[in-house]
Amino acid sequence: MSEAVLSVENLSLRYRVPGGTVAALRNVSLAVRQGEVLGIAGESGCGKSTLAAAMIDLMGANAEVTSGEVRLNGRDILALSPAERRRLRGREIAMVFQDPMTAFSPVLTVGAQLVDFQFNLDGVPGREKWVRARDMLARVGLSDPELAMGRFPHELSGGMRQRAAIAAALLMRPAVLIADEPTTALDVTMEAQIVHLLRELQADYRCAIVIVTHHLGVIAELCDRVAVMYAGVVVEEAPVDALYHDPRHPYTRALLACDPARIEAATGRLPAIGGRLPDLSNLPPGCAFAARCGIATDRCRATPPPCVALGPGRSALCHEVTP
Amino acid sequence: MFSGVRFRALRALLSDPMGALGLILVLIFVAMALFAPWVAPADPIKLNVMEKFQPPSLAHLAGTDQLGRDLLSRIVFGARTALSIALTSVGLAGLGGLILGMIAGFGPRWLDAVLVLMFDSMSSLPMIMFALAVITIVGPGTGTLILVVVLVSIPAYARLIRAQTLSLAGADFIVAERAMGASSARILFRHLLPNVVGPLVILLSMDVPIVIMLEAGLSYLNLGVRPPTPSWGNILYDGYTSIRAAPYMVLIAGLPLVLSTLGFTFLGEGLRDALDPKLRRGAAR
Amino acid sequence: MTALLSIRDVSVDLSAGGWFGGTAPLNILAGVTLEIVPGETLGLVGESGSGKTTLARAVLGLQPISGGRVRFDGRDLIQPADFRAIRSRTALMFQDATASLSPRMTVGEAVTEPFAIHGVAVNNHRDKAAELLVEVGLPPEMAARYPHELSGGQARRVGVARALALKPALVIADEPTAGLDVSVQAEILNLMADLKDKHGLSYLIITHNLALVRHVADRIAVLYLGRLVETGPTRAIFADPRHPYTRSLTAAEPKPDPRKRRTDLAIRGEIPSILRRPNGCEFHTRCPLARDICRTQPPALKDLDHGRAARCHFAENTTEGGRHELEY
Repeated sequence: MSEAVLSVENLSLRYRVPGGTVAALRNVSLAVRQGEVLGIAGESGCGKSTLAAAMIDLMGANAEVTSGEVRLNGRDILALSPAERRRLRGREIAMVFQDPMTAFSPVLTVGAQLVDFQFNLDGVPGREKWVRARDMLARVGLSDPELAMGRFPHELSGGMRQRAAIAAALLMRPAVLIADEPTTALDVTMEAQIVHLLRELQADYRCAIVIVTHHLGVIAELCDRVAVMYAGVVVEEAPVDALYHDPRHPYTRALLACDPARIEAATGRLPAIGGRLPDLSNLPPGCAFAARCGIATDRCRATPPPCVALGPGRSALCHEVTP
Repeated sequence: MFSGVRFRALRALLSDPMGALGLILVLIFVAMALFAPWVAPADPIKLNVMEKFQPPSLAHLAGTDQLGRDLLSRIVFGARTALSIALTSVGLAGLGGLILGMIAGFGPRWLDAVLVLMFDSMSSLPMIMFALAVITIVGPGTGTLILVVVLVSIPAYARLIRAQTLSLAGADFIVAERAMGASSARILFRHLLPNVVGPLVILLSMDVPIVIMLEAGLSYLNLGVRPPTPSWGNILYDGYTSIRAAPYMVLIAGLPLVLSTLGFTFLGEGLRDALDPKLRRGAAR
Repeated sequence: MTALLSIRDVSVDLSAGGWFGGTAPLNILAGVTLEIVPGETLGLVGESGSGKTTLARAVLGLQPISGGRVRFDGRDLIQPADFRAIRSRTALMFQDATASLSPRMTVGEAVTEPFAIHGVAVNNHRDKAAELLVEVGLPPEMAARYPHELSGGQARRVGVARALALKPALVIADEPTAGLDVSVQAEILNLMADLKDKHGLSYLIITHNLALVRHVADRIAVLYLGRLVETGPTRAIFADPRHPYTRSLTAAEPKPDPRKRRTDLAIRGEIPSILRRPNGCEFHTRCPLARDICRTQPPALKDLDHGRAARCHFAENTTEGGRHELEY
């Protein structure tokens, strides 16, 4: 197995809020290798977007890393100077957002911005940058890339914009592409096309991709490995097939059981996970999921769960799971 | 339940130091204006030429002017003039702007077009030129001043209200009201009004000092309040003409202008945060 | 059973603006015919731009219709007054539940507002609000909150409470679970199902989420470019979609099972603009089965067996071939 391109080691991060702090990430360790697609699944508030932001060092101003490292090609990016970090972004690591409108400035044409994104390429004539941008738009499936180059972002449809945003992210051939809810704002048919496109691009460029989404269908379609997050921790990590066919953590099981797309019979009533997410500024002493867990014991409520290794690339953060 | 909302807003206003300071300053000026005859140590227009140009002393805390009138008393009564003109004109203009703006924003499109054309042509007139023209026609005085301010400020207020109304009229919660069968009157008064009035109140409270300044400015030019009625502008004018004999007069006449401007501006900014449930301090999530 | 809601050939044209009406109107809905019987849940499915939200608003008279007829409980709704008369018997739930609540009104005021609007006497507003909130599974103390203080799921429940305040006969729900987590989504759907059983409601559920509609709808209507392309019982449509668009939609949904990964795309291209409706069958630009006739002849909505209908030239006979072609 090849070396990890991007790895997060024991990362803890909290947000300062009026009247205290919110523990957004607690001791998260994850790695993604070249040519691998890692999915990060979880519901709102689980910390998955914070983790994605931390991976590319785009945390909010009120975020505070309390421990851990984010290593890109072996270098701890959190220890670098701001200028060095900036140089990595866009070149070695790039991001695609949920709302492709935010990826582009509304007052410049898509083409001008795609040329601009290549400011790092010293000595390359503008004409060549333009050609590279156009070719990349063609590569992501825009049927008339020359026309699209001259358009403003709002003149493209949502699906086109997301394709253009992916083109922008891949323009510098980054080693890692991070996509935060890349299909959530799109219709089903467009979602299928973007999933398809990401898979093709991944096969071509062999870059590592991290997909952050609440959509279990997108993860199943696209990812090699999955990390399931809950209340700021990774509760289960597994190869995709194992996760969907043999989920071990009670939260993963409950999450999969709720997905209406996985329930064959039309029932009218669907299973839900009762209760709610614990207060992240005042976490319980034991397992964060204990209050909603069907198999929780007193031990679960009292002591933090251990990370149990369950075979190659598999682990779960649970007292009640046995290898 | 509605009074509860107001109460919360007041508490939020007081918890903001700037807002509280603004409120206190404004209340001091309002009290000065309301209780001027009791607050003022002397008659503001009684002449005493023997005591002219007295610097501040125990007998005259702010000194006296060129005619020996007690300056502190003149400033206290000047607050009455300033506030009555400013509050009346801004209040009338706000009410007019509110009504016209809501009609423009919620009424038929042709009416909107007519009103917008009116607002635009009004605001294309330079304020001072317009004020001078009106004064030339009607003659100077308190009534003229109020008329000028109302005419000049209505378009700005109406445009603000119109923009707010237009953006809210298509908002989901207004469509929800229509879907529930609410009448236009209910939508206008129960839902649009409370949502558009907040920004207007803020704008109004920030405009009060501008009107006070305008009154002072026109009175200084002898085009506003007629002497001997005490007005901050008149006092400033007197102070300016006797600046060699009594330099303290200009400073003392300028102080209430500065303080009232700060007071109303802080109050306006405090109100903006306090009236919006989302910005309210300490709002529990 | 007579229909609770029946719409016949409803069209909605929006003027495209301009002072002199120079531009042609936008044809958002083109002759939609639908029925909902009491106690039934109809799922209205389509991509964004298919006209599904416009249809919901047209049914309630919030969007003037330019052709066709809307009947509610046997009465034709023509004048604005006719629509106002049924407002206490219909309710609309919004896609963005938080935005549908007046920002300066507390939850308690919001859920009891329908009584004030319709002049229904309520002894004690506080008790009534508490009763409604408890019915949708919220603590009564929630009445003092403001909309921005609610979570997505809570705002959704408040929306349900307000919709049900007057015990309506028909509830129109626009993307009732959009933006909610799966675990919360199930709670809202179950709540809606419970209330339907308890009060004998009918639902018109507008969504693009096929997995959801499969579980909650008795019947489905699929819209494409403001036109009905397929309608029928949910089970039958999912088992054997007759319109290639329906088939593409069901195939496009990402399957939460890595063993069922698609190897190729089920549907290509994007929904065309209603400004430039394609000739012939409007789906032919994306249809994997399009033939010459599809490019020239607009197909009619053909009645099929078991209360089904589809707008496709090959609705009766493409089933087998089409499925083979699509499943690769």
